[in-house]
Amino acid sequence: MQLLAQDLVNGILAGGILAVVALGFSLVWGIMNIINLAHGAFVMLGAYATYQLTKSFGLDPFLTLPLSFVILFALGYVIQRFLINRVARAPILITFLLTFGLSLLVVNVALLIWTGDTRGVTTSYSGANFTLAGVTVPWIKLDTLLAALVITGLMHVWLTRTRTGRAIRATSMDIGAAQLTGVRVRQIYAIVFGLGAGLAGVAGTLISMSYAMTPSMGDPFLIKGFVVCVLGGLGSVQGALIGGLVYGVVEAFATQINVTIGTQSISGSGLQDAIALIVLIIVLIVRPTGIVGKAVV
Amino acid sequence: MRHVRARPFDKLRVTLGGITGNPVAFACVLVAMALLLFVPLGHNGYLEIVFRNILMYAAMAYGWNLIGGYTGYVSFGNVTFFGVGAYCAGVLSAHGVQNLLAYVLVAMVVNAAFAALVGLPVLRLRGHYFGIATLGIGLAVADIVENLDALGASSGIHLEQADEAHFSIYYYAMWLVALGAMLATFFIARSKLGYAFVAIRENEDAAAVLGIAATRYKIIAWAISAMMTGAAGAVFAPANGFIDPSITFAIDSNVFPIAMTILGGIGTAAGPFIGAVLLAGANEVLQNAFVNSHTLFFGSMIVLIVLLLPRGLVWVFGLRGGARTWLKTLTAFRA
Repeated sequence: MQLLAQDLVNGILAGGILAVVALGFSLVWGIMNIINLAHGAFVMLGAYATYQLTKSFGLDPFLTLPLSFVILFALGYVIQRFLINRVARAPILITFLLTFGLSLLVVNVALLIWTGDTRGVTTSYSGANFTLAGVTVPWIKLDTLLAALVITGLMHVWLTRTRTGRAIRATSMDIGAAQLTGVRVRQIYAIVFGLGAGLAGVAGTLISMSYAMTPSMGDPFLIKGFVVCVLGGLGSVQGALIGGLVYGVVEAFATQINVTIGTQSISGSGLQDAIALIVLIIVLIVRPTGIVGKAVV
Repeated sequence: MRHVRARPFDKLRVTLGGITGNPVAFACVLVAMALLLFVPLGHNGYLEIVFRNILMYAAMAYGWNLIGGYTGYVSFGNVTFFGVGAYCAGVLSAHGVQNLLAYVLVAMVVNAAFAALVGLPVLRLRGHYFGIATLGIGLAVADIVENLDALGASSGIHLEQADEAHFSIYYYAMWLVALGAMLATFFIARSKLGYAFVAIRENEDAAAVLGIAATRYKIIAWAISAMMTGAAGAVFAPANGFIDPSITFAIDSNVFPIAMTILGGIGTAAGPFIGAVLLAGANEVLQNAFVNSHTLFFGSMIVLIVLLLPRGLVWVFGLRGGARTWLKTLTAFRA
């Protein structure tokens, strides 16, 4: 029972971060119909931005959240404006390959700058935790979960209440109609892609505080972000949040299960990608619209 | 010029020269293949490996072309079949079987079965969902192999190799695999099977209405694709002498064949080979020139190919209207 409660808490704590990863991915996919395979690379850049800022200027990692958002937003805006926009309405293969090429590029640049060594961000409060009813909760993970909730809330308010947010939602509903009412689609696309990258950067910052980083750290987050997106429902803020939390809990429990293949028993913690895939296929077969969304397969 | 404005991808398919592509290009490719037979006679070990890799990528590109190019299902998981093929050879070798033909045949059978099994749920998905699900399969299978002691886990398997005097047998085997994939593509494309694949690519629902059992044909396409890719893996494993999950399930070898097919000409019988020669050749040169940053150049190359040659070289050479038409097609997908 104690163990189950601990798994549940761990899952929820990890799920908050996954929700932020998926949120940016989901926006770009839902609004521009582009699967951004460079999303994992953007997450990695966010983590390294925090690493560099804390190391060079001694900033607290939580203070780097807005900075890594701004840096990644600018990068995403420029990439959309000058590269992806050229093929924004092309068949999926083209945008798939383009963003994959970009992720190769970004990861290799990171490899040249920061080398392949494993790095981490540590603070004076990194190891601190408290125990509630026998369940251990690290403060830093609780704080990242709270930050994730605040960010998702802000995104929701921004998308529903501001002029730009409404223009974005109008574009995702009907490009032609949006254009007729004076929405500049090219501008909106660049903002959305920047936002996706910025949110990836924020997620990277949150990840950097609890996990080790290498330039290739993004790949598993790309796949998990995708699964969360499908799980929660495409292009929806609430969907990303719920999907992230559900997926975090499922993964926390699944990694406790030992799988026996042949004569050998494998711990579930080594099979994270396989778990993600199985969850994905089950969701797509049982409920292709996601928990709250309107995705069409 | 007039007819390339709105949707150049659809309209210009005609100029590709029917369902197998430009016949002149295919004839040139066959001649090039014949010339490649003479490479081992030079007794240059390095060149032999370079050209063997080109042939390997060509076979993988043909494999991808069948499902991604002809059937229109963009698979990002074909490297899984390469890895499964390589591990078939590894397991057979560990059990004392030292027969290249046996490796290839077993790999093809296992891969066809594996593709059909995985394809049943996954090929129900379309578009983005299929692409990312296949990407997940590759990662998942690599995950499992990495944890299985029976398959050497992350430390891999060493395979017994032919001695120096007979080492070229791997080159000739890879040549045969590539030639088989190429000819199979040519003849499949001209058959009823090929027309069914293309019908599914163009409009799956309409194809179903016309009586094409879409699911069955998709699984056939994927199984053949898996057999081509797996055969390349089964020859690669003993030729390399060592396999582990990071070599055989490398995410890059997922995308190299796709980029090659696009560069050469997607949905043609000559394109994958042309793309493999150009890209694998360029990659080799870059790898020697920039040891640490060749992925950087490779990533840039993929970006440039996608932006400048979205329909490949075969298409550009058949383009009517010259550079102006080409420039126009570049802006066709702007938002």
